[in-house]
Amino acid sequence: MMSRFLRAFPLPVIAFLVCFPGCAEQKNSVSPEERLAAGWQNFRGGEFSLALRDFKGVGAVTAIDSPVHLAALYGEATTWYLRRPDEDPARSATLYRQVIQLAPTNSLAAWSWLALARIKAQPVEGNAPELEPLVLAYQEVIDRFPFHPAGEEALLLQQAARLEDPGTARAREVLEVLDAFLETHPESPWRSAAYGLVAHCCRMLGLEERRLEAAIQAWKMAEVDPTNPFQDLAVTYWQIATIAEFELGDFETAREYYRRLIDEYPAEQRVFVAIQELARMDELEARLRTEASTP
Amino acid sequence: MSKSIGSFLKKHSALIVVGATFLWSGLSILSSRRAETPSKDGVVLRIGHWQLEAGVRSGFNAMAEAYHKLHPNVTIIQDAVPEGTYGQWMSTQLMGGTAPDMLEAGKVPYNVLLGYYNRYFLPMTSVVNQPNPYNKGGSMEDVPWRKTYKDSMRSGYIEELQEYMQIPLSQFGVRVFYNKDLLKRLTGREIPPRDYREFLEVCRKIRSQASENGKPYVPVAGSGYHMWMWDGYMADPLTYGALRHLDFNRDASVGNDELYVGFKTGRINFGFPAFEAKYRMIRQLTEQFQSGFTGLGRDEAVFLFAQQQAVFISTGTWDVGSLHEQARGVFEVGIMEFPFPTPDDPEFGKFAEGPVYDKTFTGFAFVVTRTCKHPEVAIDFLRFVGSQKGNEELNRMIGWIPAIKDTQVAPMLEPFNPQLQGIFGCMPITLGGETIIKWTQLSSLYQVNQISYPQLTAEFLPFYLEHGEDEWAELYRNRRRGMVRDEQLIAGMRDMAGASPADASSTRWIKYRQLTTNRLINRDLNAAFLRNQLEAGGAGHVAVPYEFSPEVIAAVKARLDRGRPVELVAPGKERD
Repeated sequence: MMSRFLRAFPLPVIAFLVCFPGCAEQKNSVSPEERLAAGWQNFRGGEFSLALRDFKGVGAVTAIDSPVHLAALYGEATTWYLRRPDEDPARSATLYRQVIQLAPTNSLAAWSWLALARIKAQPVEGNAPELEPLVLAYQEVIDRFPFHPAGEEALLLQQAARLEDPGTARAREVLEVLDAFLETHPESPWRSAAYGLVAHCCRMLGLEERRLEAAIQAWKMAEVDPTNPFQDLAVTYWQIATIAEFELGDFETAREYYRRLIDEYPAEQRVFVAIQELARMDELEARLRTEASTP
Repeated sequence: MSKSIGSFLKKHSALIVVGATFLWSGLSILSSRRAETPSKDGVVLRIGHWQLEAGVRSGFNAMAEAYHKLHPNVTIIQDAVPEGTYGQWMSTQLMGGTAPDMLEAGKVPYNVLLGYYNRYFLPMTSVVNQPNPYNKGGSMEDVPWRKTYKDSMRSGYIEELQEYMQIPLSQFGVRVFYNKDLLKRLTGREIPPRDYREFLEVCRKIRSQASENGKPYVPVAGSGYHMWMWDGYMADPLTYGALRHLDFNRDASVGNDELYVGFKTGRINFGFPAFEAKYRMIRQLTEQFQSGFTGLGRDEAVFLFAQQQAVFISTGTWDVGSLHEQARGVFEVGIMEFPFPTPDDPEFGKFAEGPVYDKTFTGFAFVVTRTCKHPEVAIDFLRFVGSQKGNEELNRMIGWIPAIKDTQVAPMLEPFNPQLQGIFGCMPITLGGETIIKWTQLSSLYQVNQISYPQLTAEFLPFYLEHGEDEWAELYRNRRRGMVRDEQLIAGMRDMAGASPADASSTRWIKYRQLTTNRLINRDLNAAFLRNQLEAGGAGHVAVPYEFSPEVIAAVKARLDRGRPVELVAPGKERD
């Protein structure tokens, strides 16, 4: 009797254990959209395993052609790509390609193409990745989505990668590409970043006037995030002023931007240096005037 | 009977003591828990922090009491945990889901803290963008809360998350504290020394005298902990002049990679007068410390000061209350500026191009945990202590500086007014692991006068030049390795931007583009430019950053002559 009971005892326990999680699951059920959002929340919190569980869970209960399913696949791919440790770039690439295959013209396909390129941008043991495959991968995004934010971002990342090469020939090529981008993308929110790269090319090529012009354009086009206390233009003012002062001898422009820096960012570390530079320019001009007036 | 009780007590005395202690502690816990239990509709909030300095707990209690008067159903209780164990305590509480409702976030490595911000704390951006209701009727009634801060709440903003996450409550700074009575007794001075020469003279007088037990007085109570303050506020700023030689990317600071390039290309060496001056001053300063100071900790130096064996000690606003408390009834504590050399100082004057740049910082910052059952109440309490009146009152009681604009600062804290225009250090000599170890070992020997400056530099330079190459490369590899963390943030931000409602979407996309531009597109451009220049042709190809070239002088002259701009580089003519 007793032994029968003992043999039968595990059955209800097992039944309970099997049923209970199911009940709990049912009780706590959330919509796929909410679970997708929870997945990204977990991703941002560094809980990559939980994020994967959420993304896979959404994928399992949604129709393959639904936007949520696509978003879940994209989330899963991004997690496999960026999780540390236990990242799996190959698996990630397969999932991104699934997104692309399922909806080749969807916005997520554009971001997936960009992600495929970014996988190639990852350093190998801290060293820079091979340039040519990376440039080609960016080109895929640019060719397929030339006016999508992902395509525009790819172009800038591609040109920045190419600028790591020290040659002036490369800088000239990059400058041409950027000029074309600025001409064909008059409304792009990436124009400030593009002008920043133009200024860098001009620095490499010694085209100081164009460099100054590009730096000023980058400042004028810069988007402002009013909620970010760290986003200040002190560095931008400083760079414009120093290009004008030391590369062109354009002291009027230099003075204008040093003064902007002093007025708008009085607590900035550069203020003292800016005050000194204003005095140095005055001194140089005074000396030159004296020399000119001395026969 | 009484005999048997007596023998029972004697036999089991240890057990009885343990039992009685257990009973007492149980009853104490029960009664304190009972006192903390809110009434039926009451709210109890806990606030955890590591500030055991004098005045903080009583200050918080007083503010909690004042808040309770305004909101009788709310009780605030503090969990003050020692600094040494705070990080572990906070982590355990957070992971166990038992964390206080509000926490002072810190005492864990920054990358760990970043994970905590995401996982356990509530973002505050929407809160701090609204005016603080406790500022009603004042000059900042309609100003968003974050803008009522002296630093626009910079320290509350976590750039990696692009969110305001914590609410700072105090401003901090570092100065020299001194024993007024002892200074007068030993030197006859009512006022502290105002500049470096006076300071050295005062120190000489102090050193020449001994206490009643024959122990010589020490001018400065120092320790390994205190050294950075004297270096950072006195000696390092003397190296400011290196900026004009080494700021190759012209961002108005000298990076450790730029300094290395300077040494490697022969642009600069340890014989550079400003570098020599810095180390001469360090030697002169450390001669005023007690012997063996490098092996001592913060508490030992404070003890020496409290025992009236030393006249000066450097520390921050966080110690104001504690030092006053220790000195109460024994001696009076004064606060003074660091005695920096004046421009006419015969030895250091030419390096002291201005006062030392000193930007104070806000801290004592609190987050609201996700497990908080009444986050709206926790936020409201932080608004209360972060309002003009509340913040002024809290800091007045603690003896710290308010973080909010247009608030009264205690007269004794006036020397902490920041100096926002001035010079700063430009000698970040170490690059990575091995150079840091080598430099730390050698400079410690130098500080205690076991080796001279020529010995220090002769031993370090070949090591630096040889190992620096690898460490520089490793520096870049580490930058690249860190890229994945940035990509994680950017991917998370992209999702937020795409999923946000229309009004928030635009701002989120701006944040996304700024993160991408700064952390991916422009990530390696300057570094690559510097390295490429160095590899291309050595010193000759590295431009002198702050010199007027003959071409520039000619252009300025032409502008002055003709009053019109001059092209320096003809169109189409490029540098090869």
